[in-house]
Amino acid sequence: MNLSEAKDFPVNTASLKEVRVFSRETFEKINLSQELKDELVLAIAEAAQNIVKHGYKGVEETTDRMEIKISLNDSQLEIGFYDKGKPVVPGNVQHRKLDDIKPGGLGTFFIKQIMDGAVFKKDQEGWVNHLVLTKKI
Amino acid sequence: MTYKVTEEGNISTVFLNGEIDMDVTEKAKEVILPIVESGKEVHLNLKDVSYMDSSGISVLIESHQKALEKNTKVIVKEVSKSVLKVIMMAKLEQILNLE
Repeated sequence: MNLSEAKDFPVNTASLKEVRVFSRETFEKINLSQELKDELVLAIAEAAQNIVKHGYKGVEETTDRMEIKISLNDSQLEIGFYDKGKPVVPGNVQHRKLDDIKPGGLGTFFIKQIMDGAVFKKDQEGWVNHLVLTKKI
Repeated sequence: MTYKVTEEGNISTVFLNGEIDMDVTEKAKEVILPIVESGKEVHLNLKDVSYMDSSGISVLIESHQKALEKNTKVIVKEVSKSVLKVIMMAKLEQILNLE
């Protein structure tokens, strides 16, 4: 099955619910277990949250938007995130150690647990960051 | 997210409802942390929480750690299957008081 759905959202915390709605509606079109759908929605929501939380850290309000594109080619799922926030230095994107129990630092860990790959690409035009999450489903 | 708080003796039960994400974590903390800081035992009932992300997990951790500081405890009760999965993904099922 092939599918490609994209939507853009204002960069703010209130958009996170809309991101989940978009993701759920898209995954409804694919024959996946509910458990996997829930995991994928969590991974997407965490990546979107990272844009709001880290990409726009210190920015009170912005008119910028972020775009999320969900593509399925046969069994290869690819989820792209485009934003105009601070440039991400991939080497700095790390989750906290799990035995260091404290609030925060788990979003990236969840993404890595759920997805097969997470790569920042430099192929975007008109955007600052392009994160690509992949998973064979 | 909506919530309800009931009191019985030294135990406050906070019933959370809806989806817990970064957009509502401050609100959740404003409800839970003052009760913990008062020294009461807090029961967090999550049976009507259908979704929780890493921000929600942070609220659980912060509440748990604040309770330890205050020599009381936060018990997380009636966790839905989907939320339990996220707690387990974070390997917190042995850290948090789950019932």
